Amino acid sequence: MAERALLELENISKFYGNIIALEGVSTKVNAGEVTCVLGDNGAGKSTFIKILAGVHQQSEGSIFLNNEEVMFSSPRDALNGGIATVYQDLAMVPLMSVWRNFFLGAEPTKGFGPFKWIDQQKAMTIAKDEMAKMGIDIRDTEQPVGTLSGGERQSVAIARAGYFGAKVLILDEPTSALGVKQSGVVLKRIVEARNQGLAVIFITHNPAHAYPVGDRFLILNRGKSLGSYDKDDITQQELTGLMAGGQELQELQQELEEAISGVKKT
Amino acid sequence: MSETTMDEGHISNADEAGQGHEATAVATESRETTKSAAAPAADERLAYRSIFQRMFVQPEIGAIIGVIGVWTFFWAVSLNFGTAGQTQNWLDTASTLGIMAVAVSMLMIGGEFDLSSGANTGAMGILFILLIKEVGELGGLGISIWFAVPISFAAALLIGYLNGKMVERTALPSFIVTLATFFILRGLKLGMSKLLTGQISVTFTDEASGYDFWQPIFAGEWIRNEHIWNSRDIFYLGFAIGGAILLALSMCEMHFVRRETKSAAGFPVLGAGAAGVGVAIFLMHTTDGVNANALAAAVLGVSVLVGLIGLGMWRYEPVESPGGIRLTGKINMRIAIGVALVGAAILASFAIDSDNAETLFFPFTVQGLRVVLMMALGGAGFTLLTWAANLALRVNPTTKLAVSTIMAGAIVAFGFVIRASAEATKFRTELFSVFMFAALGIFVWSVMSVRFKERRSVDDGADALGMKGLGLGIFMLVLAVILRHLFVTQDELDAMVNPARFSVRMLWFFAFTAVMAYLLARTRFGSWTFAVGGNAQASRQVGVPAARTKTQLFMIVSGAAWLVGMLLAFRLSSLQAGAGDGEEFEFIIAAVVGGTLLTGGYGTAIGASFGAAIMAMSLVGIQSARWNTDWRFVFLGVILLLAVIANRYIRDQATATRR
Repeated sequence: MAERALLELENISKFYGNIIALEGVSTKVNAGEVTCVLGDNGAGKSTFIKILAGVHQQSEGSIFLNNEEVMFSSPRDALNGGIATVYQDLAMVPLMSVWRNFFLGAEPTKGFGPFKWIDQQKAMTIAKDEMAKMGIDIRDTEQPVGTLSGGERQSVAIARAGYFGAKVLILDEPTSALGVKQSGVVLKRIVEARNQGLAVIFITHNPAHAYPVGDRFLILNRGKSLGSYDKDDITQQELTGLMAGGQELQELQQELEEAISGVKKT
Repeated sequence: MSETTMDEGHISNADEAGQGHEATAVATESRETTKSAAAPAADERLAYRSIFQRMFVQPEIGAIIGVIGVWTFFWAVSLNFGTAGQTQNWLDTASTLGIMAVAVSMLMIGGEFDLSSGANTGAMGILFILLIKEVGELGGLGISIWFAVPISFAAALLIGYLNGKMVERTALPSFIVTLATFFILRGLKLGMSKLLTGQISVTFTDEASGYDFWQPIFAGEWIRNEHIWNSRDIFYLGFAIGGAILLALSMCEMHFVRRETKSAAGFPVLGAGAAGVGVAIFLMHTTDGVNANALAAAVLGVSVLVGLIGLGMWRYEPVESPGGIRLTGKINMRIAIGVALVGAAILASFAIDSDNAETLFFPFTVQGLRVVLMMALGGAGFTLLTWAANLALRVNPTTKLAVSTIMAGAIVAFGFVIRASAEATKFRTELFSVFMFAALGIFVWSVMSVRFKERRSVDDGADALGMKGLGLGIFMLVLAVILRHLFVTQDELDAMVNPARFSVRMLWFFAFTAVMAYLLARTRFGSWTFAVGGNAQASRQVGVPAARTKTQLFMIVSGAAWLVGMLLAFRLSSLQAGAGDGEEFEFIIAAVVGGTLLTGGYGTAIGASFGAAIMAMSLVGIQSARWNTDWRFVFLGVILLLAVIANRYIRDQATATRR
């Protein structure tokens, strides 16, 4: 059998009863590469993530991780396999400090038996250091995550995933709620994570964000794949067109122009 | 945030980054990063917050200020609040309330409620008594206390476990589930008591085997009259003065800019000040006349000022030009109104006859009204003056010194009025001294601010030293208070009527609070508690066992209810079937007063214990102020309201402005 990429998906389908949420989707992602998954609302992006993150299981098709076919039965299972997901809602506790959030669920401890306590110094040093690697200087890791900006919170989540040995990092719409500058910061983090050798799956509905950082693009529309392209094979214009379903976008543009000229006349 | 280099050298780290890190590698690297990051202009948006501002955003701070405020209030308005007897009184109330409040606050931080916690305390006590009781006809089981203790404890844990499991399985709000448990327990208590003993209360016996061993554990007492220690006051004063000096020094250390090279020129001045303080204290301790004491007090005040200036000359950077006094209209207006209000307070104290002992139709006596008027008017006046001082600080330190001097003068005047018009020695001596010290502190601090540079940037070394000094100082002060309460001198004993009995209950309270505070702050369980309360879904996503954590929290609450049940059973020797019913809301109120967020995810165990202390002080204080106790709930309601507003403000400060 030929050498496979770090993570490969073949003909993944997901049915909820009689609803086809995802049908025949294939793509791959190598270590040190960014695969962007693009699609408008309702294209099946969420289903796609949930299958990879182990929240749902695919109805058909196979997932190969490190040349082995796998099926994730739970989020913990996927995490143990090295797939970390940074959700849109961030999986963070806003009132808790940065370092507590960073290590939540996997706190380093000292002591033994029932008298284990958290090695706070170590945890704070590591959290600060990992954030510094992301280019963010957190002077006080005791400050609550709720005080960070959206971009910084994304960075905490990304740094956390990287630190806990993720090989594949899935980012669910990390830029959708952010301003222009913050989005830029998060895109830099994505490049950063890729440079550190992670395989990144970047889910977005914004081709302008996806194109500069992506190595491969998977376009979804109404549950079906419109193809998986390498960066060399596609331009940003084509990407945008494909994403909105070509035809539809042209119609939309026409309607828009008519509407605008109508406004001008009155 | 700084967007510095991000592409350098990270590719070579790729393998390491993928598989987690060696701690050592991280440590060396982090030192480099912090060095470069801590360069002067780290973040221009990051305003410096002084140590006091940072301390002010601790979640417990509201409760601590509340404890001090409520204590001072009742100490000032009642004759015996603050004596060992009354302290024992409110500590006793605070103990059983506090153990539950701490446990309930943990559960609330974890995002759940337990309405059965109140009924549970009584249920555990009754279960325990029924287990050991030997009654004729149907009676209890008559088993040894050695077995009854673990059996009832296991029963408590089971109730907590069932509460937790039911909340988890049904996914209903814990408010409803535990309301059901509350009714079940309530019914069981009454039903079982009547069925087994034929009465609606169960009575304890001291005949059960093991009583002699367990009685001191749950109901041991320390009778103060039996512990005479005539040198107590020397140790008391030593610790109190030492603690106060440490506090003052630590605050200076954290507040002023350290000199690059220390200057020895300050030593003689510091030495002179210290000697003066020593002489003044000796004079005060040995002489009795009013004039001699006034002289000693004056020496003390000047010495403190001289000593601190000497300290500053030795350690801190001087201010080159503090600037002249520039009073703006705003400041002047506040000073004028403030002084007028203090004047009104003084007038009020003279207008109302201090000999009139009548009770008004209002819950106050005439004297109570007089005190409240004085405190309200005076408090408002001093608040305005403080406000003026803060505004003046924005102009320059000299202006602040001018305003502070006016304020100190007003405080001194107020103190003398109290001394002249009050009958009780407490007001004439103690309250008077408190006012004098407050005035001295305000004045000296302003003088220091004019002479020495206040810190506007971070200095971790100074903060670390200062925090250590602060901790030790507080410890010494607490030790002084404990000594004074636990031991009695022969003179005091002769003048005393009722002995104070300190119960082992308060030790259970302190120990339980300490253990829970440790669990919450330092263990994974504590972290998970905050997480499941703050964002349950998020914590599940990262692998926190949310359901298990919550069940354990319910078990902690019912375990605490068992402990309180034991304390009640051994103290009262007879428990009504309704014991504890309805107290669950008091636990919740104490937790909220202590800074716990009703919606979960925020709070502390220590804060909850202070919340319980505030409530207990209010209940006992109202009695010792001889006010009509029918009004106590009004007082509690006001405290709850104030506490919630204050805590909300503190939380907003803590979570929104720290960048």
